[in-house]
Amino acid sequence: MRDDPSVIRLVERARDGDQHAWNELVVRYAPLVWSVCNRYQLNRTDIDDVGQTVWLLLVEQLGNLRVSAALPGWLATTTQRECLRVLRAARRYDLTSSPEDSPVSPDQADALIEEEILAAELNAALRAAFADLPGRCRQLLSMLLSDPPLSYTEISATLSVPIGSIGPQRGRCLERLRRSPYLATFSDHEIVGGETHDTRTSDAGGGQRA
Amino acid sequence: MPEVGSVPESWADDDQLFAALKEAVRAARAVPPEFVEAGKSAYAWRNIDAELASLTYDSTRDLVPSVRAETASIRALTFTSAHLIIELEVSGESLHGQVVPAGEGTIEIQTREGVAATVGVDSLGWFPIHPIPASPFRLRYHTSDGTDVLTGWITL
Repeated sequence: MRDDPSVIRLVERARDGDQHAWNELVVRYAPLVWSVCNRYQLNRTDIDDVGQTVWLLLVEQLGNLRVSAALPGWLATTTQRECLRVLRAARRYDLTSSPEDSPVSPDQADALIEEEILAAELNAALRAAFADLPGRCRQLLSMLLSDPPLSYTEISATLSVPIGSIGPQRGRCLERLRRSPYLATFSDHEIVGGETHDTRTSDAGGGQRA
Repeated sequence: MPEVGSVPESWADDDQLFAALKEAVRAARAVPPEFVEAGKSAYAWRNIDAELASLTYDSTRDLVPSVRAETASIRALTFTSAHLIIELEVSGESLHGQVVPAGEGTIEIQTREGVAATVGVDSLGWFPIHPIPASPFRLRYHTSDGTDVLTGWITL
């Protein structure tokens, strides 16, 4: 797993009693836990149950260096295991479904989980980089990111800038985002579960969700 | 500065980078706030001052599939700490356990909400738990001579 100093620092601070660091870890990786649960088509109650279990297990594992060095991978595989457990338990009471009825085959699951881990890391890094931008850039990009996006006319009026400057400002802000140290911490290879994976083989923003 | 590595090469393009940022923001917004808050509150469970017993055997995990199929209604779990072992067996609606080495004491059943119940451990180390607690739960074993052991979270 890549050596992300900020994640490791957060884990260390959480281990040492810093609730804010813990909160930041949860905010950063809750989307990963959530997306793995959704892949298994769990209902909301089961998703909440899995989520709670995963975070409780992480609290217990904060002192475990192997976990903190590969946190996204640990979270993804732990979430997957808990989802399967919930599905197994549900099947005990549902005799109409066969044990082979899992929505995701083990091979598919392995491939998907790699994608999900990478997507979650890229997404978390992008959000951290975005949060670290100067206020002006955050404001402009937020307007462009809103759904539906604000028009250049509306943005021009809100920010009191000429319409013609919005395009170039967007470009400058994206360039700052691109140069953010949060996006510079990716190493060329990721080691997940003892194997080496070339991150370049995955397309941008992999882990497409339904 | 950290090592410069490989974010996707396509991010050199403004529109691709913007689309990736949009997806990152969307993925975070898709998560219900209560889900995130529940995760934050799990932190209250850290730093419990007891010896931890970790799961060393789980029949659903460690049995070979052919055996598992025949014994699907029974689940056996073993937690091991530095000084003792806590074994649990679930069959149907009953859950009972044994502490090894045996010693009289109490077992506290903790759920996410706090301590749900306390049961006695007899001189043979046996204890019954009824009803089966809502998952996840964990057990804390106390004796009068100061033994204090806490199992990992149990999900049945």
